Amino acid sequence: MDESEEVPKDFIKLKSEKLSVDEVSELVVSPYCGAVSLFIGTTRNNFEGKKVIHLEYEAYTSMAETEIKKICRDVRQKWPSVKHIAVHHRLGLVPITEASVIIAVSSPHRAESLEAVRYCINTLKASVPIWKKEIYEDEYSWKENKECFWANSEK
Amino acid sequence: IVPGCLYSVAVLYFARSAELAGLRSETLSVPRRLTSLQLWEEIVKRHPRLAALRDQVVFAVRQEYVLLGDQLLVLHPGDEVAIIPPISGG
Repeated sequence: MDESEEVPKDFIKLKSEKLSVDEVSELVVSPYCGAVSLFIGTTRNNFEGKKVIHLEYEAYTSMAETEIKKICRDVRQKWPSVKHIAVHHRLGLVPITEASVIIAVSSPHRAESLEAVRYCINTLKASVPIWKKEIYEDEYSWKENKECFWANSEK
Repeated sequence: IVPGCLYSVAVLYFARSAELAGLRSETLSVPRRLTSLQLWEEIVKRHPRLAALRDQVVFAVRQEYVLLGDQLLVLHPGDEVAIIPPISGG
């Protein structure tokens, strides 16, 4: 079979409903691929001894989608054998232990999709305009990714 | 500032900048050509509480990141300028 028969696809979605690992991984399954690599980011119940009640995400949605598309384009340059890429990010209120982000990448062999999925999440944290607010019992805090170069490093 | 040289742009605020400004978007009249730092100063004049973010914020102009500094912005009517506090996606 000709590998060009299946066009590589990017699936990008920001949504306020609960994310589904099955849905995201099924998006990237391909008969030409022997590997699907997944990253699931989940919400933690504690930060520096404080109890986290829940998290709230917001995004500059149109730009976030554009930045995720750039990441997909970079992935295809770095790992040309990568077939499909899916990035789902949740917005709004996210209860503890639920997924805030799911990334799935398929490739004929595992090395490329494993490296690509790591690159996707690291770059997403550095460049995609999405914000997370941690809500504690009596206060809240806007989080800052360590990968964000314009964050105040003194914090 | 010569009034004839003012353009209307949409300014978007997110996360902590939305809290400090007290709104999520507004239309501002700004000079067609100004540096990103001058644009920041125009915005802080309207929303002084945003000054707290000075060292930890960048712009997105037409959805491209721009640092606060001497970089000259050439704006067009209707352009979208977003205030981007430190991001925390993922």
